[in-house]
Amino acid sequence: MSLLGGGIFKGMAVTLRNFVGSYFYKDRLTTNDYSWRPTDKLPQHAGEYPKEEGEQLRDATTVTNYSRNFPMLLHDGSEPMDTIRCVACQICERECPPQCIYIEKSTEKKENAGGKPQFYPAKFDIDVSVCMSCQICVEVCPFDAIVMNSQFELSTPDRFGGLLLRRDDLLKSNDYYHNIHPEEAAARDKRIAEEKAAKEAKKKAAAEAARKKAEEKAKADAEASEGTPDIQEDAE
Amino acid sequence: MSLELIRDILVATVPLLLIFPTLFAFTTWLERKALARIQNRIGPNKVGVPLTRYGGRFSLFGLGQPMADGIKMLFKENIVPRDADRLFHLLAPILALIPAMLVLCFLPIDFPWINNIQDSVKAFMLDGAVIFFFAITGLNTLAVFMAGWASRNKYSLLGGMRAIAQMVSYEIPLVLSAVIVVMMVGSLNAAEIANAQAGWNWFVFTPWGLAAFIIFFIAALAETNRSPFDLPEAESEIIAGYFTEYSGFKFALFFLGEYIAMFAISGLAVTLFLGGGAGPGVAALPWLSVIWFLVKIFALIAVMIWLRGTLPRLRVDQLMGFAWKFLLPLSILNIFIAGSALHLLAGDRLADLDEKQPILRQLMEGANPLVVAGLWIGALLILYVAANGLNQLSRAKVRPREYKYAE
Repeated sequence: MSLLGGGIFKGMAVTLRNFVGSYFYKDRLTTNDYSWRPTDKLPQHAGEYPKEEGEQLRDATTVTNYSRNFPMLLHDGSEPMDTIRCVACQICERECPPQCIYIEKSTEKKENAGGKPQFYPAKFDIDVSVCMSCQICVEVCPFDAIVMNSQFELSTPDRFGGLLLRRDDLLKSNDYYHNIHPEEAAARDKRIAEEKAAKEAKKKAAAEAARKKAEEKAKADAEASEGTPDIQEDAE
Repeated sequence: MSLELIRDILVATVPLLLIFPTLFAFTTWLERKALARIQNRIGPNKVGVPLTRYGGRFSLFGLGQPMADGIKMLFKENIVPRDADRLFHLLAPILALIPAMLVLCFLPIDFPWINNIQDSVKAFMLDGAVIFFFAITGLNTLAVFMAGWASRNKYSLLGGMRAIAQMVSYEIPLVLSAVIVVMMVGSLNAAEIANAQAGWNWFVFTPWGLAAFIIFFIAALAETNRSPFDLPEAESEIIAGYFTEYSGFKFALFFLGEYIAMFAISGLAVTLFLGGGAGPGVAALPWLSVIWFLVKIFALIAVMIWLRGTLPRLRVDQLMGFAWKFLLPLSILNIFIAGSALHLLAGDRLADLDEKQPILRQLMEGANPLVVAGLWIGALLILYVAANGLNQLSRAKVRPREYKYAE
């Protein structure tokens, strides 16, 4: 029989450990503290919060590698629109539970990073005032084109336009993705590489099989052409 | 009414009206900081000295936060629902604050200025101070239900009904555990109760006193609607309970009343069980007793905050079961044990006792140390076994949930 009320003391020990630990281990603190910023750089109005890429990452303890906020679109190279992964298939638009994604497909095809001519999104808007950060768009995307960003400094004096993120706001490089979610990005790249390798191996195998089949067929044909006279002989 | 009497009344009450709201402001800051740290956050750390840039240049760990909150509350719009009972909607927060403020007078804190005034103004010298304390605290229930009813809102009414059920239920173990102390002192006078514990003779160091203190503390948590008994204002269930429809300064009054009630009931716990102003150095420096009293109150409040950061909220049936099936039998048993123990200690000396002196101290003088030790250990054992048994009996008979799809 355990001590009566012992569970309460156990719980209190846990909270005490957190209470004391938060004073000594900075990596326990998961919230952002702006006190590291010099006074003259303190935000004056909500709209003036720093928005440069990576600014929020300066203090490594403030945004963890596992924080997710709103989606972003990935591209592979330096020119975003030349290497965009999204092919405007509109699966995410259809799956989005609060219907916050709006996509307009391009009329003509254009070469993407894979070197294949593909459609691309002429318009790709996400209304972050509607988005519920469920990450379902990320789950359903077959092209690994949409992933979660961890940027949270999105306050704006413009209630409608400021919260509607356009395609060009959403485009982020794969390097940025590696920067904010290293583990996830590495795993994703590995999976993409593996899938690519498996695809190529399959292609190769298929080609090999086709070649073999052709050879066998040729052989069979040859045998057939050789054997035909025998049969005919037998028949005679 | 003579001028002197008016002066004495002001001297007795005005400092209380200044000191405790100040402490309240400090406590809200302390609570937010402590809860934040428990959850690995930082808590308020921006608002500091006003009129420096954003109040942030000298932020002083965010100590200016309560002031900013107060100013914000003052300037907020006072919204009264269209169908609300306007009079009672207005009266409820006032009625919540007044009893809480009133009972502060019953705390025997030896402020340096208190010795110069007439005895008739000192509320804690009243012969029935402890009874009065509970009687006035009971008014709070009325205020809470008034707020719930007058708001004409289902969540408010639910909160008010929960509050009534909870406060009435927990009032009983609260009073019954205070009875133990009255038995040991033989007086209801708060000052005499505190004096009876001078030195280290705190009643919490007796087995029945310890049990009574724990019961009292649990019941006090429920009386002041503190977590884990915060069902009347359960945010995740009924929005804010009885003060759902309150805004602006009326809300602030409720908030203030709640914290003042916390101070009052902690102060009563200190008076009854933790020796009042007793502590090291009091004999040499009498003003230290004020410090000790406040330190003890704050220790209890710190535990309340700590518990709030630790425990989840109870279910309604668990709450009622705990009061009626566990605390009530245990406190009645505790009274029985305390009575038997005092009787055994007294032996045939019962007739010689001086009514004016604390009973326990008279009994302890000249008692056989072996008998005392036996009584202490025996009482502790009986109480522990009884509590364990009651715990087994009072639990709701619910089988552990069988998961169909999880795990």
